[in-house]
Amino acid sequence: MLGAALVLFLVAFAWLAPLLSSHDPMISDFTNGVRPDTGTPVGPSSAFWFGADRIFRDEFVRLAFGARLSLLIGVSATAIASALGAAVGIVAGYNEGRSGFVIPWPLPIALAGGLALAVGGHSTLAIVGSLFGIVISVVAIKSQIRFLTAGVDMNFDIALMRLVDIGLSFPFLLLVMAVGSAVDRTSVGSILLVLGLTGWLGTARLVRAKTMQIRSRDFILAARGLGAGTTRILFRHILPNIAGPLIVVSTVSVAQMILAESVLSYLGVGISPPTPTWGHMLFEGQDYYAAAPWLVIAPGVAILIAVFGFNLLGEGLRDALDPRE
Amino acid sequence: MRSTHASKLTGAALLVLLSGTGCSDPLADPLPHGNASEAAPVRGGTLRLGNFGDIRTLDPAASSDQLGDEAVQLLFSGLVDFDAKGAVFTDLAEKIDRSEDGLAYTFTLRTGVRFHDGDELTADDVKRSVERSLHPDSPNPVGSFFENIAGVIEYTQRKSEHISGVTVDGRYVVTFHLLRSDATFLPLLALHALRPVCKSGGDRYSDSWAPCGTGPFKLLPGGWDRGRSLTLVRHDAYFKPDMPRLDAVTFLYNVNIVTERFKFESGEIDAIRDLTQADTVRFLADPRWKALGAYEPAREIHGESMNTEMAPFDNVEVRRAVAAAIDRDHLRLLRAANVIVSAHPVPPDVPGFNANVPTQTYDYQAALEHMKRAGYPYDPKTGEGGYPHRISYTAYKQGFSEFAAQAVQQDLAKIGIRIDIKIVSFATYLSTTHRRHVSAISPQGWSQDYPDASDFYESLFLSRSINEEDTGNTSFYKNPELDDLLDKAHHELDPQKRQASYDHAEAILRDDAPWAFTHSYRWFDVHQPYVHGLAPHATWVWDIQNTWLDRATAAISRRSVISEVSFGSLFTTREKSDR
Repeated sequence: MLGAALVLFLVAFAWLAPLLSSHDPMISDFTNGVRPDTGTPVGPSSAFWFGADRIFRDEFVRLAFGARLSLLIGVSATAIASALGAAVGIVAGYNEGRSGFVIPWPLPIALAGGLALAVGGHSTLAIVGSLFGIVISVVAIKSQIRFLTAGVDMNFDIALMRLVDIGLSFPFLLLVMAVGSAVDRTSVGSILLVLGLTGWLGTARLVRAKTMQIRSRDFILAARGLGAGTTRILFRHILPNIAGPLIVVSTVSVAQMILAESVLSYLGVGISPPTPTWGHMLFEGQDYYAAAPWLVIAPGVAILIAVFGFNLLGEGLRDALDPRE
Repeated sequence: MRSTHASKLTGAALLVLLSGTGCSDPLADPLPHGNASEAAPVRGGTLRLGNFGDIRTLDPAASSDQLGDEAVQLLFSGLVDFDAKGAVFTDLAEKIDRSEDGLAYTFTLRTGVRFHDGDELTADDVKRSVERSLHPDSPNPVGSFFENIAGVIEYTQRKSEHISGVTVDGRYVVTFHLLRSDATFLPLLALHALRPVCKSGGDRYSDSWAPCGTGPFKLLPGGWDRGRSLTLVRHDAYFKPDMPRLDAVTFLYNVNIVTERFKFESGEIDAIRDLTQADTVRFLADPRWKALGAYEPAREIHGESMNTEMAPFDNVEVRRAVAAAIDRDHLRLLRAANVIVSAHPVPPDVPGFNANVPTQTYDYQAALEHMKRAGYPYDPKTGEGGYPHRISYTAYKQGFSEFAAQAVQQDLAKIGIRIDIKIVSFATYLSTTHRRHVSAISPQGWSQDYPDASDFYESLFLSRSINEEDTGNTSFYKNPELDDLLDKAHHELDPQKRQASYDHAEAILRDDAPWAFTHSYRWFDVHQPYVHGLAPHATWVWDIQNTWLDRATAAISRRSVISEVSFGSLFTTREKSDR
């Protein structure tokens, strides 16, 4: 309950707080935000509730806009990660132990060559080469050219799960930072994608395990016996049964995403200024912690509340959705 | 769920951390001093100084950074040197005779000057040291400064064995012959690079050589603990009687700036110049300390460099609009203790600076008018109009650079120039903004190589300073009239005529606005009451040669400092202006 209350409070703060102040989060107030004796930012007062920041903008309003951004990124990145993780997990889990399929060898060769060309900076050649490989493979399969259709014998589960293993072998924040630094333009969209596309690995593993558990139940067998196709089984029978744990994991993941975004912004590989983000506000205020402690306390406590809130909410949902209790 | 438990712990830790940040301890008391009077300096003692940076070399043929040069000039005296205000005076030379045409400078050396190894300094040593420093195998970063000495170009291209333009005309007489008359020759000679070195230095740079010169201090074996500290001791045979007054100087390197301040307060170092803005404000606000401090001008200029080859800054009216739109006082307020508004191309206190030449100034209405003339009228009421495209603006990841970028962004938005700030590492910033056709507008700065206006004008605005990569002229500004003026000033020996040329050049740059000139810095240095004569020096950071100590008790100075230099190395890459 406390978790839900904290999250609701955060949402309310993000969207209602700016209405309480006349300050713009992006515009400095060089007349009222500065202490004339020292040239330093003013502390908390009736005009600036949480004080002014290093460039004399209202910390309170910036905190609220930072909350919007954190919530937006946390929820959206989690949505991407959960969708991707669930899709991979279900497909892998459902195909676990089943005989595989053959990837004709022109395809991996063309894709590897394309990747090498792309890394080398020849993007057009890379696309043309990869497409060529795909076309050759399709033609080979359609016209049953035996020597071309011979290739790697693969299983969906093994292929996908090894990919997950590789991804999970990197510490999450390190992976996110590496991808974040590689992305040239840092906008809300790119950060969201970076987090979403690196955050699905754990979800995929969990969903796979759950799927394996469910696919051997009698009702799946019955559905298949009644003639239901794979797609129908996956979406109508398996997905609803793994929704509970998925929701719990996703809720906790929102907290992780918010923390990851803060870390990225703090380290300067996140969203560019002047857009307010909690992590960057923390970075901007840290040199000043002795003279203007509000500049680190405000974003620090905000991150604390958000992470705490979503974690508690996740825990509460787990208890509520767990059939054993 | 385990993560919740972990988050509770994290939360508790964060709260503890935050609760600790609120209190700020008052500064410690200044340490007591003895009873010596200013008129009768005391001899003895070790001066201890801390630095957040580090030094690479102590060889005059290789040094090129402020901290390294500071130590090099204590080990090596030159024919001429800079005084604390940046004026050139004769040091190892007793007198200088300049020929009528300004092409020959004859230096008569003092007699009886001894190197640290006991040898006497002669004219041969001067010539040998010049050739050693400019040898093609010596990694001299400022070697190109001396190409106006006859024969240097042939020598560096290995076409000759010796520099023909440096001649020994007697045991104590050496003459430098120049290709063209040159007002910057003496200031350049006063730099560390060509100073006489002992015969053990050989004919070219070697990184295994133990530094040995004629300076007031010498290096004993083991005196340099690389990355941690450097201790120089008095050269007893120094040619100036009763100088230096200190027994030794110890520099600590790689000290975190916060640690440095604690060391200063506890008396482990005697003076401090690496104060954060917050600490500067605290020291200034404390009457006990304020009187023990002094402002040191940074001798650098800063501004917004606009690429005259890229739209929209190929239009002079847009450049003028930017120069008029930036409220420099806002930039000052971002770091009021350290930033000074200065829209001259040369920083205050550098020869060639003239405060009477009118500068670019903040004038919002004029800026809007310039935008109109440029064809991009902007209506502040509706926010419509202005330059239709967004412009990328590259700043580097460092406190003030980021803040200033955002203040400039706000100012430019008010005249309809919308910039997107991209914060990158310092290396990326350099490679992006110093390459042709890449960056339309970027924050730029220049700090002096030698105290003279020519260093600023020629490095930044000569068309010859344009390079495809690593360009000095980041505006890619080409103006034949300015080129002529700057060349004329460079070779003009009459100070008044020279100043007139620079004043004219400044007016051209103000109106053509390849840069919107904005600010310079000043640093607040504080010392303990027992430190005397430690004034900021125009070129060598601090005037250590004239420093003396007057400690109340010997006990304070005998604390072992070197063993305590510890966890500062994380901060070695901090920029000076990040303080």
